[in-house]
Amino acid sequence: MILEQIKQGFIRELADKGQREDGRGLLDYRAIKVTKGFAPNAEGSALAEIGRSKVLCGIKFDVMTPFADRPTEGVVMVNAEFSPVAHPEFRAGPPDEKSIELARVVDRGIRSAKVVNVDNMLVTEGKVQGIFIDLYILDHDGNLIDTAALAAMAALKDAKVPKFEEGKIVRGTSSGSLPLKDIVVSTSFEKIGKTIMVDATDAEEIASSGRLSLGTANDGKVCSSQKSGSAGFSKDEYLQMIDWAHEKRRDLLAKI
Amino acid sequence: MKQLVFPGDKVADEPRRIPGCYIEDGKTYAANVSLQSDDHVVPLKGYYVPKTGDDVIGIVEEERFSGYNLALNSPYGGSLSARDTRDELKLRDAVYVKILAVNEVKEAVLIEPQKLQPGSMIAVDSVKVPRIIGRNGSMLDTLAKFTGSRITVGKNGVVHVEGGNAELAMKAIEKICRESHTSGLTERITQMLEQETRNAPRAGEQNG
Amino acid sequence: MVEKADLFKNGKRLDGRGPMDLRPLKITAGVLERAQGSALVEWGRNKVLAAVYGPHEVLPKHLADPTKAIINARYIMAPFSGQEEHGRSGPNRRSIEISKVAKHVFENAVLVDQFPKTMIDVHMEVLQSDGGTRVAGITAGAVALADAGIPLRDLPVGLSAGLIGEHMVLDLDKYEDNLGDSDMPMVILPRTGEILLSQMDGLLSREDISKAFDMIFQGAQKVRDKQIEALRTSYERMAAQAAQGETQ
Repeated sequence: MILEQIKQGFIRELADKGQREDGRGLLDYRAIKVTKGFAPNAEGSALAEIGRSKVLCGIKFDVMTPFADRPTEGVVMVNAEFSPVAHPEFRAGPPDEKSIELARVVDRGIRSAKVVNVDNMLVTEGKVQGIFIDLYILDHDGNLIDTAALAAMAALKDAKVPKFEEGKIVRGTSSGSLPLKDIVVSTSFEKIGKTIMVDATDAEEIASSGRLSLGTANDGKVCSSQKSGSAGFSKDEYLQMIDWAHEKRRDLLAKI
Repeated sequence: MKQLVFPGDKVADEPRRIPGCYIEDGKTYAANVSLQSDDHVVPLKGYYVPKTGDDVIGIVEEERFSGYNLALNSPYGGSLSARDTRDELKLRDAVYVKILAVNEVKEAVLIEPQKLQPGSMIAVDSVKVPRIIGRNGSMLDTLAKFTGSRITVGKNGVVHVEGGNAELAMKAIEKICRESHTSGLTERITQMLEQETRNAPRAGEQNG
Repeated sequence: MVEKADLFKNGKRLDGRGPMDLRPLKITAGVLERAQGSALVEWGRNKVLAAVYGPHEVLPKHLADPTKAIINARYIMAPFSGQEEHGRSGPNRRSIEISKVAKHVFENAVLVDQFPKTMIDVHMEVLQSDGGTRVAGITAGAVALADAGIPLRDLPVGLSAGLIGEHMVLDLDKYEDNLGDSDMPMVILPRTGEILLSQMDGLLSREDISKAFDMIFQGAQKVRDKQIEALRTSYERMAAQAAQGETQ
């Protein structure tokens, strides 16, 4: 931690020259690796790694009471756990604002693009399918949002819907893959000084003064946007990042 | 002609150090809601931040082995070393003191303490201090003349009143603060003081 | 029951507004006695109260930043604020996220370097909600900060845009937010045009987003005018009271 704080000045100097500590280009992702089915007890799972960051996503189905105003709609819930194993600054306990933000941003992307079709998920009278998407941050070296979004999307692709009998879930069975209507990936940009870069490391995030995370879906659409940090972005910077996000989408899709 | 300016309004096309304003990209903008007349910008509200050379009134809030910590009506406090203090000070004593230096986190190093006698004190927004003092101290003179009180004003907005018709002095000071941005204030204060002292024994003629 | 088709008919929205029309907006500064600064925003049927305390000491002390003030932003909805049943008291995940993004707005707009090692509290209490409470809250917070005399680069302004079918509209109310196709709340710093808050859900093309930005930048001027009016009125009220104070 202290090391990262000290590095701030150095990273800013490099950024001013358009350079990065690990020699990457401003728009280069680190090595991306996705392993589906990493946690086989879950109905769907995937471990996503971007550089040294690692997020494990597990998906569990269940039978749930629907929302009162949407009685046949399935319920999707995204939760993120910033496990203390991932970073010396993560403490055990209730989710803090960063972990809540990450979960909600990943959720918004998936929900906006209607990745999972939740209509007609009635299991029995008064009960619908519930899909729990749990994101476990295991190793934090920056860009957790993109890594988590990748893990979630890959886990959704990996997921097998269990059989439901007499209003109850029968674990260990499968009635086929979870039908998906769209594929969402996330690209996050950090602003260091006046320089904007993609896929920041932990040290780069500490040196950064602002972040924009964009979720992209098929057909050139943006499905979620979250600006964070104190730096402001101009309209032109924002639109430029949309273009870059669509470019990067291709690389990310190839990994799932 | 006075006019109100608001945060973000441009005040000058060059960088200028004006209270209540900030400089960005070589231009000066207002940071506070302020009254501007020509070059003069006065924020309506402000916070006292310790400045080297200011004479302020502090209240002892902690006694340490090596000295005292004083509250300065500011988000920042000051410290007085025991070495520099003649009288012994106690918790809640009021001290008129000079700021020798201010460190990077705006804490003040204080010297030349003068313990103030028990009296009444009021903490006001430091932007009102010039009004309480008046041009060349004229307002303070007026107050002293009508009340016979000893009035000490710290740059940090703490005002200490002792002796004479302290109650009237405090009332007048509160009125000055409330109406500090209006015109004709000096006349109104003088009027009020005249009225109040006409109805009561003159200052200096009170019990003993 | 309002349905999506009702939201936009014959060029008019459900409440009769055109695409660029804002709901009625009234801002009052200095509404609370104890808070250093305060503001009430009545925007459509929203009522949001903002209060500012500070700069004050940070406790516990080790959390203080020796280079600047820390912003403690708190967005919270009163349990009676919505149209449905009694909500739970206290922060929930949504309000924690909104508090975070609001904090980022104020971290930029407030000249935090001027108050190292202190904390500034900005409370945004939603008393009544009808869509767009976060932008209303931050708009109120800006006025409360100015009312408190805390130095700002500019007054940040919040406004939302959204897509209803193929129509991009400004300032979504509750129905448009819930039934429409996309919601983009934004906060900008009018002087520089910087985007300080930007969130989005729904599916939008680059062109949609660009159009939304332009509409928001235009509409934001009207909101800023109301903020200024609130601060000016508060000053005039104070000056009038002072003039009347002759009788005291």
